[in-house]
Amino acid sequence: MSATTAPRVDTSAGSPRPPGPRPRRRRRLGTVGHRVLVALLLVYLLAPFVWMLVYSLYPSSALQQARPDLDPSLLTGASYARLLSDTSFLVPMANSAVVGISTTIICMVLGSACAYAFARYRFRGRSTLLLGMLTVQAIPVIVLAVPLFILLRAFGLYDRLPGLIVTYTAFILPLVVWMLVGFFDEIPPSLERAARIDGCNRLQIMVKIAFPLAAPGLAATAILAFITSWSDFFLAKVLTSTSASTLPVKTAAFQGLFAMDYTSAATAGVITAVPVLVLALVAQKWIIRGLVEGAVKG
Amino acid sequence: MSTVSRADLRRRRDLRFGVGLSLPAVAVVVLLLGYPMGYALYMSGFSWNDKLGSYHPFVGLGNYRDLLVDPAVHRALGRTLYFSVFTVLGGVALAVLIAVLLNVEFRGRTLVRVLLLVPWAVPPVVNGIMWKLIFDGSSGIMNTILLGTGLVDERVQWLADPGLTMNVLVFAELWKLLPFLCLLMLAGLQGIPTNIYKAARIDGANGWQRFRRITLPNLRGPIMFALIVQSMWSLKVFDTIYVLTGGSGGPAEGTTTINFLAYLTTFSNLDRGYGASLAVAAMVLIVLVTLMWVLLLGRRREDREEAR
Repeated sequence: MSATTAPRVDTSAGSPRPPGPRPRRRRRLGTVGHRVLVALLLVYLLAPFVWMLVYSLYPSSALQQARPDLDPSLLTGASYARLLSDTSFLVPMANSAVVGISTTIICMVLGSACAYAFARYRFRGRSTLLLGMLTVQAIPVIVLAVPLFILLRAFGLYDRLPGLIVTYTAFILPLVVWMLVGFFDEIPPSLERAARIDGCNRLQIMVKIAFPLAAPGLAATAILAFITSWSDFFLAKVLTSTSASTLPVKTAAFQGLFAMDYTSAATAGVITAVPVLVLALVAQKWIIRGLVEGAVKG
Repeated sequence: MSTVSRADLRRRRDLRFGVGLSLPAVAVVVLLLGYPMGYALYMSGFSWNDKLGSYHPFVGLGNYRDLLVDPAVHRALGRTLYFSVFTVLGGVALAVLIAVLLNVEFRGRTLVRVLLLVPWAVPPVVNGIMWKLIFDGSSGIMNTILLGTGLVDERVQWLADPGLTMNVLVFAELWKLLPFLCLLMLAGLQGIPTNIYKAARIDGANGWQRFRRITLPNLRGPIMFALIVQSMWSLKVFDTIYVLTGGSGGPAEGTTTINFLAYLTTFSNLDRGYGASLAVAAMVLIVLVTLMWVLLLGRRREDREEAR
């Protein structure tokens, strides 16, 4: 009982506040102002997406009036039903899923080994390579688009899923390595030393000790790799035409230069965004950590 | 003696293991990005337009000489600069302010932070569609709101005027990139011990002084990282322009940045040689800007580390 009352004695001892109601009122006013700002921020963050969602669920005639009619009785899933039964939409969707999953698996296998080596073993050229991985971010994809197009055509991989998977792997792998090095760096080496004394070899230490400890980081990185692959538009546009086309390319096609099928575009937009949104929100804690790691490391 | 050699042996095995693990990934990246990069440089040395047939003479640095005096390139550079100044400097400044706003203890703070990931995760193509639904001249909700509240008398043609379209583009990109920058700044803010603020308050420092003398210096690392990374992204923006302008970089080339000009030159004019030189120029620009940030801000960081 006394323990709970003890801290009530002025905690800010040494900072005598001027008496009177002013500071408190100012603080309350500050809190209200703060809440308003946060609320505005939330509206800003969510409104554009919510509006697209609304667009996908109402007939466009109801929305394109001086006063948009949001009567719930007008709600319709017709646009979703139409797109999700249309093979010219389903094929790109499946392509995106196949390419995304394959790219993620390849990137994680190659990238986790590479990142582990970078994090644990010091060898010459290591920091140069690590920096090089970040430098890839500086390359505009447009530089490589035509050469990649020529290269894939020469190997018979143009407009085919393997061509896209190989290309994405090259672009996403550096990102994966960069992010994973951060996660492996956090594992204390003492555990691995203990395992070595117990007779584990280097490979066993990596697979049985380091990987399980870095599991959340590995999962977040895999999700980031998938999101990056799933969201790409430019490479898919240049390196495919019909049979290997992906969801973003199909979605972008709903809006032409002069005319736009608004409802379909909105619906396709929601369908394209929802999988990555769900993944990002599910793994949010680890994704945020992985994203800011590099900056905090400086 | 024997322990030294055993340690030596182990180090050599460590090395072999480490190199073996990293080799496949490094090889994939170097081969798959290095070869196309070399090929792009090679193409940029030719006068190579597929519209003009298959004859393409070697012109050395001729394409680069041309682009230095090409008015279309100058205009594109100006637009790139405009777009980048607002998205990079504006983005980082806004991110710092929003991060300060969210670093205060309040109910639902975690939720707000999680929701920051929504714009971050939305694919760029979808981002373009979203803003098109909002800013479309004839049916966009922005005009509906502005007309309804009487702020304007007639519809604003957001996406038919070159200057306005560029501003819509900046606005749309800011929405997508702010959350990541905010998360960076929030992480930085969390590293600042709260007693520094308490001590400063006791010493009579007002809000602005605390922000200026404590918050900003402590955010130098994240701010520098944000400036570099966001510069890279802003200078190579593509998807949003494509979707917002129907692949035209218009209206009246109003959103044709240097990167988009390289795309149009290569894929609409089929001028491979010149397009490749433009793309390489865009890359050189990105590297130069990155170096600029490192030189501008990096030295101070060294000073700080020496002081530590």
